Amino acid sequence: MSNLSKLDFDSMTVAEFEQYLPELFASGESGRLSEDPRLARFLAANPDCAALVRDLETIAETAKSLFVPDQDEPSDEVWSNIEKKLKQ
Amino acid sequence: MQTKPNAGLFKRNPPIAGEAEAIERAKNGDPDAFSKLYSLHKRRVYTLCLRMLGNVSEAEDMTQEAFLHLFRKLGSFRGESAFSTWLHRLTVNLVLMHLRKKGLQLVSLEETINPSEEDAPKRDFGSRDTQLAGSVDRVTLERAVASLPPGYRMVFVLHDVEGFEHNEIATMLECSTGNSKSQLHKARLKLRELLRNPDQLPETESSREVVQ
Repeated sequence: MSNLSKLDFDSMTVAEFEQYLPELFASGESGRLSEDPRLARFLAANPDCAALVRDLETIAETAKSLFVPDQDEPSDEVWSNIEKKLKQ
Repeated sequence: MQTKPNAGLFKRNPPIAGEAEAIERAKNGDPDAFSKLYSLHKRRVYTLCLRMLGNVSEAEDMTQEAFLHLFRKLGSFRGESAFSTWLHRLTVNLVLMHLRKKGLQLVSLEETINPSEEDAPKRDFGSRDTQLAGSVDRVTLERAVASLPPGYRMVFVLHDVEGFEHNEIATMLECSTGNSKSQLHKARLKLRELLRNPDQLPETESSREVVQ
């Protein structure tokens, strides 16, 4: 993976941004990357990159809502099988 | 002696009413208490299996295996993490073992290797026409996740849905943390592509079965 310590946030190119993005997301898990002050100038100058960051943040945020299951549950047969095996 | 739990570990898994008592009773062999634990956790465990496997029949089999394994291992639960976190880790490890037995390579050994030209996210990540219209609803995202290639889906589910850290995922998938980060990023890029055309997403297997 790319080492963020070598990155000059103010002068990086779009290609560098693409290269470092997985690490940027991983390093900023406690906050939103779109609000990271180190990236403010770059994202203001590159609206497509800013849109990408927002979209990926939206996907990651919505994914958290999938943690609580909606309606799927196993059939009654699963518990019947478990009970049978525990009695053996 | 019960280990004092770390409050930070319970953010996404707050204790469920009656769970702690059921755990202690089940440890002492109370079948009703084990039945209660099943009722409390069957949906989350099954949903996790279904997302990782993408197949109702296999997901039910692995749910069964997970609870049988839980029955055998419950005595070793010390409360150092939330019970559901512990149960989910146990389930993930069982599913991964099952997939390895089937010969499925879970992530590429080299992060530069893409699953295939068709499966890999497109390189035009920054172009305006790839932007999402706005918010994403969970049903559509669920369908998009089900459409991901297995390696991408695995890392996305473990990290973004289940909340595991990259170092934990790397250990579970036997890959580097860098590979985990890279696979997650590619998964999110692929999802962005898929979510641009939600009408073309296939139904999930579970929703097809509900309709049938």
